Amino acid sequence: MRHPNQATLALQAGGDLGPIRSWWTARHLARCAECREELAGYNEMRELLPELAELPEISWNRMAAEIKANVRLGLEAGECVREVEMPRNGASLTGWRAVVAFASVIVLVGGCLVLERPAPRAVHAAETSVESTGDGIQYQNGDNRMLGLMNGGAQKAVYTLDAQGSMGARYIDPVTGSITVSTVSYAQ
Amino acid sequence: MSDVIEPGLELQERQNRFVSQNFRRIFVQIYHLVQNVADAQDLTQEAFIKALQHQEQLKDEHKAAHWLSRIATNTAIDFLRRSGRATFCELDEAPESHSESPEAILLRSEHREYLEDGLRLLSARERAALIMRDVEGLPAEEVAERLNCSKATVRSHIANGRTKFRRYMERRKR
Repeated sequence: MRHPNQATLALQAGGDLGPIRSWWTARHLARCAECREELAGYNEMRELLPELAELPEISWNRMAAEIKANVRLGLEAGECVREVEMPRNGASLTGWRAVVAFASVIVLVGGCLVLERPAPRAVHAAETSVESTGDGIQYQNGDNRMLGLMNGGAQKAVYTLDAQGSMGARYIDPVTGSITVSTVSYAQ
Repeated sequence: MSDVIEPGLELQERQNRFVSQNFRRIFVQIYHLVQNVADAQDLTQEAFIKALQHQEQLKDEHKAAHWLSRIATNTAIDFLRRSGRATFCELDEAPESHSESPEAILLRSEHREYLEDGLRLLSARERAALIMRDVEGLPAEEVAERLNCSKATVRSHIANGRTKFRRYMERRKR
């Protein structure tokens, strides 16, 4: 004989089984003394439990007043907390705000990437050259700016160049014997 | 319950009425679960605060009572889980009748303690299901609604609760 399990008997005691399970269990109980004893144990337990429903003596009026006052306090405290939290809640990223924020971030990141990686541009190395001409010297920098100094036909002329873009020449005029010192510079 | 949505009344007055109309029922419901007056009173207040903070859900007066009961049940179950369930029954809170002798009061108190010890062996949801079904006499459908679970789950909680409690009673008999 197949006995119903404890859960089935526990539910049968309270009438909590479905009709078919209940009928099957009742039929088994009619033939099985062992299971009837188990069921009686559950029924005994169920008879005791309603004692837990008994209430102690309570002053309902006093309790009502206390509960109302405390509920009022609780609600007011909740309002205070809500007011403090409101700005943060207002800025919470939900719904359309989240979409706008996400789109903004995408645009920002895209912009940064474009700016960080500008289109390749031909960069020519600054080419500086100093060239002797027939009656002087010519200096050309990377910006294609030129500077020239004449020596008036002197055979021995001393030229100086510096990195700041100035150039000088010293020489003795072969006809007059005067010494000429010339310095020129790029306009900044 | 209709007072909750009556527009002519001041908010505070409506809230007070709502508490007055429901606090006994909610207190008793919670007391059955926690078996302690002070805890039940605190939890009743907590349940009302939770409910009144979401008053918009109380507009459907047919559902409001069930909704409040569900909040109360959940509040009590959370408490039982948090506290690991230690109950204290103060002597002046013990059920008493002026016609009872001190011996009878003591016996009653001991018997209640015996039942509460058995309840402590159950999980919070088993305890809630058993109390609602076997102490309050609610149908399984309503228990399921209050516990926000299926009827099959409630049956499982009830069966487990009864089986554990019966084993406890048999151990104590020996």
